[in-house]
Amino acid sequence: MIDEPHEELELTSALVPLFVITNGRALPPDNTYERTTLVSAQEGAAASARTLSPEARRVLELVTEGFLSVAEVAAHTHLPLGIVRILLAQMEESGHIIARKPVPPAERVDREVLNAVLDGLKARFGA
Amino acid sequence: MFRDALVWCLGAVAVIAVAAALALSRRNKAIAAKKRLAEAELTRQLSAADGQLAALSAELQRHRAEHDQTIADAEEAAEESTKAVLKGSARFLQSLAAEQLALLEEIQRKYGGHSVLGDLLEVSHANAQMARKAQGIAVMCGAPLGRRNRPASVYDVVRSAQGQIRNFRRVEIMQQTGFALKASAVSPVALAVAELLDNAASFSQQGSPIEVNFQRVQKNLCIVIDDAGVGMNDEDRQKASTLLSGDFSPRLSHLGNQPKFGFPVIGLLARQYGFRVDVTGVSRYGGVRAVVLLPEELWTEEEPAVPEEPQVSGIRGSVGRPEVVARTAHGLPRRGARQVPIASVPDQAGASPAPASEDAGRAVGRSLGAFQRGTLSGRNLASAPSEGSDDA
Repeated sequence: MIDEPHEELELTSALVPLFVITNGRALPPDNTYERTTLVSAQEGAAASARTLSPEARRVLELVTEGFLSVAEVAAHTHLPLGIVRILLAQMEESGHIIARKPVPPAERVDREVLNAVLDGLKARFGA
Repeated sequence: MFRDALVWCLGAVAVIAVAAALALSRRNKAIAAKKRLAEAELTRQLSAADGQLAALSAELQRHRAEHDQTIADAEEAAEESTKAVLKGSARFLQSLAAEQLALLEEIQRKYGGHSVLGDLLEVSHANAQMARKAQGIAVMCGAPLGRRNRPASVYDVVRSAQGQIRNFRRVEIMQQTGFALKASAVSPVALAVAELLDNAASFSQQGSPIEVNFQRVQKNLCIVIDDAGVGMNDEDRQKASTLLSGDFSPRLSHLGNQPKFGFPVIGLLARQYGFRVDVTGVSRYGGVRAVVLLPEELWTEEEPAVPEEPQVSGIRGSVGRPEVVARTAHGLPRRGARQVPIASVPDQAGASPAPASEDAGRAVGRSLGAFQRGTLSGRNLASAPSEGSDDA
C-alpha cells in the first residue's frame, strides 16, 4: 500500500481550552459582574496568588493597584467576557478580589405620579 | 548268507540315511539362504517405506508452514487494509475535530458576553474528547499526530490533556513549573497524559481526586499522576509495562469490541517521541501512580514567551500619558487623563457627543464621590505609557 504524501495537520486552536481555564464552572448570574462592575484586588491577595491559575493571576495583577471594570479586564486579558466573569466569581469566592456593583440607573418613576406633580405645580403657579 | 544279506541291508540303510542327511542339510542351507534373501528384501522395502514416510512428513511440514505463513500474511494484509481504512477516517475525523475546536473557540470569543457561552463551553468539551479519540485511532494506525508549532509550559500541556477527558474537574494540578515543552513534544505528551488521566478517572471512584505533580529528577522532567483507584495486580502491571514500552503493539483486530487502546497508544507515542511512561508505582492513596518521564531533549527551562499579552502589564506604569489618542494599536480605547472613566459613566459618551460631554462627564464623576475617587486613584497609579505605542 502506498502512502500518499499528506501534509501534517496543524492544530491552531488554543492549547488550553476555555472550559479548563474556568474549571468547568457555570456562568455567574447575569446581574453580577456586569461589564461596568468594578473589581479590585483584596488586600494581601497577592500573597496567595501562587495557588491561582495563570489566567486568574493575570487578572489579579491587573486589578492589584486600583479598580478596573470587568469589560476592561476582559479586553486586557484577551479572554471572552464570560470567561472573565467566571474567573472573577471564583476569585471573589476565594477572597482574592472585591467587586463593586455599578451605580444602578435611576428607577423609573410612575408616569401618573409625575403627571400629578405637574398638575399640582400648574395649579399652584398657574402656568 | 543271511549275514551277507544283513550287511547289505545295513549298508543300504546307511547309504540311504547319509543321502537323506545330505539332502536335508542341503535343503536347510537353501532355506536359510532364501530366508536371508527375503529378509534383505524386506529390510530394503522397509527402509524405502521409511524414506517415503520421511519425505511425506517433510512435505506435510512444509505445507503446514506454508499454511501458517498464508494465514499470517492474510492477517497482516487484513490488518494493513484495516489500518489504511481507519487511517483515512481517523485523519478525516482528526482534522474535522481540530477545525471544529478552532471554530468553537472563535464563536466563544464572538459570543463571550452572551449566556450561550456556558453551552458553548460544554460543546467544546465534548469535541475535545472526540478529538482525543480520533488522535488515538490515528496513532494506532500509524498516522501522524496533529502538531503544534509553539512551545508550551508543561503546566499548560497537562491542562490541555485535562480538557480531553470526561471528568476533568477531578484533575488537580498541584503546582506550576518553569519548564516548557518543545513544540514537537506538545501534542504527543498532551495525548499520552490525556490517556493516563482518562485511565486514572475510569479506574477510580467518582469524585476521588486525581493529582498531578511535576518533578525534576536529574536530567528528566517527570509528570506524576496519582489516582485513588483500586490499583493493579501483578499481572495487570506486567501487561501494562509491556504495552507502554511500545515493543509490543497489539493488532487492531485483537482489541475487541470495547477497544482499550490507551496503553498501546501511549506506548507507540513514547517510542516514537522518545519519552517513557511507567505505571507500576503506587500512589499515596493506594491507587496507581503513573509517571511520564521526559528526557531533556523534549523540554527547556525557561517559560515560553507569551506573545499575545505583551500589553497587559501596560495599564500600570509611569504617570504621564498621552492626552488625545482615541485608540491603541490593538484597538482598545485609550483613556486620556481628563477623559471620563469608561467604567463609572458608561452612557455619557454615547448620549451626548457634543463638546459639553466632557464637562458633564466630569460633573457626574465628581458627584459620584468616593466611587469616582477610588477608580481614579487606581487609574492614576496604573497609568500606562505602553498601552499601545503610537507608532505601532
